[in-house]
Amino acid sequence: MNALDHGTMAAHPPAGHWRARLRAGLARAIMTTLAGLMLAAIVHIVTILAVPALSQRDAAHAYRELGTEGHAALVPPPGNPQGLPPLREADPDVVTAICSYDLSAGPVRVVARTGALPLGLTLHRQGGGVIYAITDRAAIRDVLEFLVMTEAQRDERIAADEEGETSRELRVVSDTEQGLIVARVLMRLPSDRADAEALATGVACETAG
Amino acid sequence: MRILDLAYILALGAGLGLGTAHWAVAGRPALGKIEVGAWAAWPRSGGRDVDPYMRAYLARGVHLPLGSGEGLELIAEHDDDGQALDGRCRYRLSGATPPARSWTIGITDGEGLPFRLPLERRSFTDSEIVRPEDGRMLIVAAATPEAGNWLPLPVSGRFQIRLRLYDTPISTQTGETRAANLPRIARLDCR
Repeated sequence: MNALDHGTMAAHPPAGHWRARLRAGLARAIMTTLAGLMLAAIVHIVTILAVPALSQRDAAHAYRELGTEGHAALVPPPGNPQGLPPLREADPDVVTAICSYDLSAGPVRVVARTGALPLGLTLHRQGGGVIYAITDRAAIRDVLEFLVMTEAQRDERIAADEEGETSRELRVVSDTEQGLIVARVLMRLPSDRADAEALATGVACETAG
Repeated sequence: MRILDLAYILALGAGLGLGTAHWAVAGRPALGKIEVGAWAAWPRSGGRDVDPYMRAYLARGVHLPLGSGEGLELIAEHDDDGQALDGRCRYRLSGATPPARSWTIGITDGEGLPFRLPLERRSFTDSEIVRPEDGRMLIVAAATPEAGNWLPLPVSGRFQIRLRLYDTPISTQTGETRAANLPRIARLDCR
């Protein structure tokens, strides 16, 4: 009688046993999915933060060779012989010129002469972010002038400043050694193009001693 | 079984993590977006405190956003009634523009590029438009010629209107700007 009972139980396990296995399997699936979702959140955050540092297609890389001769160079139009990519989301009424800077050799002095057309200067660090913006309204005697430097270079300059004297130069700290100085001049009328290009390319950017 | 679990966790984590990251920065991110009427702006894209999503979006292409002190770009993808802008319709852009030293208004595709149209009129600056007696702005955007200030549209398909304000005080307080202070976009009729 006992042997017969045992045989029946082996062939048809009680429903409670299956339920327990099902519950365990479900709990395991939920736990692994939760772990997967947590990993997904970490991967998402790390990817978003890593994109600016790893990107080779951003403006700072694309225009690295522009304006290295001491003055700003115009952003070339699409289909240019240098093979430079066009500027995305650019205003067709604005002339854009760029000075690529590298602070490893020392601070860079930016000097812009203002004219009749609105001029804006911005500093774009490598990896995204505008670290400084100024317009020709801030010009003193029709000249906009500032120095771009790293934190360490600024500390050196402050240490070298005369005791008790206020420095008159405008110092802008860049947290990356490389970046772009962007000069934008608005053409109010299509006939302003030549003046706008002259104004934008007239922005000087040379390593200061 | 443990190897299967681990593979599932890794596949889910990598796939979902990379997929959502790509989706989040494929276009302009929803984070940091400010909507005023039909217009949308990302005022923090031109500052030091740019959020990580906008920074990643900008780094994925050759972008040089306007600096916060330099100006502000506003983008409209739909009209005042919330309907998507379509080249088959005529639109009236009217009303006021916020205080700015200068502004431009232009038609672009979804990527921010001007359309290749037979007529070389992709945008207007504030100096170019003809103003009525009250000095307000009135522009008609249509695929067929219009009297007055006419912005040509593509024959069909979606487009964007981009308003760029240069040297404007509203770039730091865009969220407080009222829709009445920006141009209205009204659909006149459709083909």
